[in-house]
Amino acid sequence: MTARSVPTDRDVDVVVVGGGPAGSCAALVAARAGLSVVLLERGPFPGSKNMYGGVVYPRILDELIPEWWNDVPIQRWVTRRSTMLLTETQALTVDFRAGAWGAPPYNGATAYRPDFDNWLACHAQAAGAQLITSTTATGLLRDSAGTVIGVRTDRPDGDLTAHVVIACDGVNSFLAKEAGLYEHTDAKHFTLGVKETLALPKHVIDERFGVRGREGVDIEIIGATGGVNGGGFLYTNLDTIAIGVVLKLSKLGAQQQRPEQIIATLKQHPAIAPLVQDGELKEYSAHIIPEAGLTMMPKMTTDGMLVAGDAAALCLAAGIWLEGVNFAMASGMYAGQAAVEAVQANDTSAVGLAGYQRRLSDTFVLKDHRKLRRAPALVLSDRVQHLYPGMVANVVERMFRVDNPNPKPGVRRIFNQERKRAGVRRRDLLRDGWTGFRSFG
Amino acid sequence: MILACLKWVTHPGEPHDERFAGISPADQSALEFALVQAAALGLGVTAVTVGPAGAEKVLRDALACGAQRAVRIHSAGTLSSAEVADALAAAAPAARWVWCGDYSLDRGTGSVPAYLAAALDAQQALGVISVAWQGDGVVATRRLDGGRRELLSVAAPAVISVEGATAHLRRAGLGALRAAASATIDVVHPAAPAHIDEAVVRAYRPRARALAAPLGEQPLDRLRALAATGAATATRVETVTLAPPAAAARIAAALREWGYLD
Repeated sequence: MTARSVPTDRDVDVVVVGGGPAGSCAALVAARAGLSVVLLERGPFPGSKNMYGGVVYPRILDELIPEWWNDVPIQRWVTRRSTMLLTETQALTVDFRAGAWGAPPYNGATAYRPDFDNWLACHAQAAGAQLITSTTATGLLRDSAGTVIGVRTDRPDGDLTAHVVIACDGVNSFLAKEAGLYEHTDAKHFTLGVKETLALPKHVIDERFGVRGREGVDIEIIGATGGVNGGGFLYTNLDTIAIGVVLKLSKLGAQQQRPEQIIATLKQHPAIAPLVQDGELKEYSAHIIPEAGLTMMPKMTTDGMLVAGDAAALCLAAGIWLEGVNFAMASGMYAGQAAVEAVQANDTSAVGLAGYQRRLSDTFVLKDHRKLRRAPALVLSDRVQHLYPGMVANVVERMFRVDNPNPKPGVRRIFNQERKRAGVRRRDLLRDGWTGFRSFG
Repeated sequence: MILACLKWVTHPGEPHDERFAGISPADQSALEFALVQAAALGLGVTAVTVGPAGAEKVLRDALACGAQRAVRIHSAGTLSSAEVADALAAAAPAARWVWCGDYSLDRGTGSVPAYLAAALDAQQALGVISVAWQGDGVVATRRLDGGRRELLSVAAPAVISVEGATAHLRRAGLGALRAAASATIDVVHPAAPAHIDEAVVRAYRPRARALAAPLGEQPLDRLRALAATGAATATRVETVTLAPPAAAARIAAALREWGYLD
């Protein structure tokens, strides 16, 4: 560890708000560089307030914690990924299994975020960051020029000054909004994720999902959200499974449906019910997700402040790719690096912190979002949500149906018939196909 | 010196996960009373707990709230109430006021304060539901049966255990919290217990009770009396009208006959 600097005109060099993946990575990087760092967490421990419990892709940790897989607290390594297309009675599944993902250096893992986040924060503490829990940052401190110079907390004597504030306070970031980094926010940019955690014996999960040991399954679902635009998911933990839906907020409100009812309907689907049967409900939780990608991203820097993770809307929801924690960790890491540069150069203005935006732009964090900028709208569109699943499922059903003595019809003919039956116009199909090709191609 | 005894307890469902460990609301109240009294008397508070290194978090929290010194009595295992009290008394023999919670998170016996009062040869006021300050002393209110209350005038040295709702622990300031993170915590290794409290490890055995011989002229009657649990024969209903001294003597005789008195 480098010798820690002692700031003269501030309490600390860097204050990181939020002990999630972004915050801990930012604190870890800055503390390793020898800066004095405070990591503020509003819960009694990092991850304690977290409702997430899905798949984490920790590849970016290679740059921070060598051989992180040796002690990372994960549930199962994802070795099977499936995408399911559901109608009321049909299910079309594309299933992929990769044995290599079950061995170092691994790919993704299911994890309980209270364990994962706490582990990451412990690394930040070991690097020298001071973790302060049960403390909420309630606002920003500014100097007469408007530069952010720290945060105000809900504790007595609670002002904490710093050269750089890194806001990792999650989706709906009050600090980023107070700093004026969000020009506007719109409910249509958010989805509501709701999840049930169901306990099942490990051997039952292994048998039902065809896995062994620490192998796990990640199933993404389209078309079983009760008419509300969104998607479903089903993940295997060691002795629990997580099933849930992600619902477009504006549609959920307009249709006045209850999310728990939508999950209950999903659990009764013929393709899902055998997988979750007899699961004992252990937890029900909900969380807002920023899913509009580039459309909703704020300015990432201002004088004395950076914003990272969910607070910066760095969540990739692009159909087959549903990622957030890796973007949070990477953005936190780059924010920490930029803060170190700025403090060492004694310039923590927006110009001095510009290295953050540059790093985001040069790496997967913004490159993926730029490439897939049209994907969130496409995936959550009415046609993809409500017309295409039924159309595709009917095509497949007719392809595999044996109508002897009638001869087998051509696929093209079936497709055109089903397209018309679903009410899908050819030009809309072509337009969506082109959008999808440009995004995913 | 004012001592605040804080029992660090892990969550029964997660006994090895210190994230879920902590102290009870009663212990928090005890710490608050200790801090208030210390401010009034111009004394310092020493926060003490018994446990492994993970227990130091509650001591750092106490330091952040205003305690001047923190002592951890090292223990990796389970100690009996008497052993805990002995260790606490040895760590702070000069304590004038000792504040404890009336119950811990694991809902133990609540007997440590009483043992501690004995070990320190101090007054005790246990299960206190409110506290009033009276000069250098304390007026403690205790609960009695039937909604009645007992007022105890307590003078130092004394051990007081309080219920959880009696006080709300102050919120530590940010600066104090940061300073407490690197504060020194004295670690004491208790001496090996001088005796083994067999009552702790001995299996429960109900005390033997002398029973009156079964009534009956014939052996069969006496057997029937035994087989019928004695309910029909041993609790004969008898209504008598006597003067109070004679009535008391009659009741005592009946109880003796039924085996309730030796």
